[in-house]
Amino acid sequence: MLLKKILSYGKQEDQVLENVKKHLQLLHLAFESFYSGIRKDDSSTMREVIDLEREGDSVRREIISTIYAGAFLPYLRPDLCRFVEALDRVFDSLEDTALNYPDVVLPEQIREECVRVASMNTNMCEMLAISFDAMVSGEDLREKALAIRIYEKKIDDIKFNILKEMRTTPVENFWQGRTLAEFVSDLTTISDMLEDASDYLQIINISMR
Amino acid sequence: MKVDEFMTTRIESIEADRSVYDAIEKMVDRRIRSLLVVFSGKDKDHGVITARDVVFKVLSKKSDPKTVKVASIASKPIVCIDRTMTIHDAASLMVKSVIARVFVCDEGKIVGVLSLLDVMTASLILRARGNYVA
Repeated sequence: MLLKKILSYGKQEDQVLENVKKHLQLLHLAFESFYSGIRKDDSSTMREVIDLEREGDSVRREIISTIYAGAFLPYLRPDLCRFVEALDRVFDSLEDTALNYPDVVLPEQIREECVRVASMNTNMCEMLAISFDAMVSGEDLREKALAIRIYEKKIDDIKFNILKEMRTTPVENFWQGRTLAEFVSDLTTISDMLEDASDYLQIINISMR
Repeated sequence: MKVDEFMTTRIESIEADRSVYDAIEKMVDRRIRSLLVVFSGKDKDHGVITARDVVFKVLSKKSDPKTVKVASIASKPIVCIDRTMTIHDAASLMVKSVIARVFVCDEGKIVGVLSLLDVMTASLILRARGNYVA
């Protein structure tokens, strides 16, 4: 375990790594709930995202305070914190999207594409967790980072299709249009945030060499 | 990994009686390398025209793309696969049939297209996940 070998490894470091893993697991569960909710058009499943976000928040606070209590060498701490905060931003954005969902009137012509984006976001999150495990084990992250970039590019392409379709979709009033636009924007921006988190992992990995 | 995860759902098409010049224009505008060719009459009657067809069958022979009809150079019939087919099986079919893209169909309706680039990117993801099958 490279990270464990390089750093003055102790209980605090172990605790941080375990909590980051837990944070990633919670995030993945939240993505799965969101995907299941949008696929089945079930708002109650979406509410699980809110509970998971709260749990994730408390794990994040624990990670940050353990890092600043002295876990890891000082030069690594800011990048580790940035990574955890990037995950938190993903969580927040996913929560906003889930909260918005019950008010969204999702037109049939874009529903399938939105479900595909939700599925890809879930896979991206899984890949991020795989990347983190690989980094802890001292493996090369190149292939994992590329996989994340591929997903991001694919979602970008789908976003373009959705937006094109949306321009010709009639809406009943201003708020219906605005809610739909915000939902699609949030859903398709999450992948950028996951990519940012992957970039922070790469930075941490490089700085350990 | 199933093909519907990696297929492209936006399919650009052109009518068979249009000129090859129209097809070139559309491919250049949309930055794509192929178009689905729609023949009038039967619903399932589709073909495909690629940049390779345009170059090999028209431009290299110094024919005028404005006078050549899409129908005369389109490949027919198209190869359709089920959306639940695995990427690996789709790749094998592409190798066997020596084609660069297959169309993904669901209950007789074309819902996407899977190109060599899609297969390549899907394989990279499988590899990164650790369950890559060469």
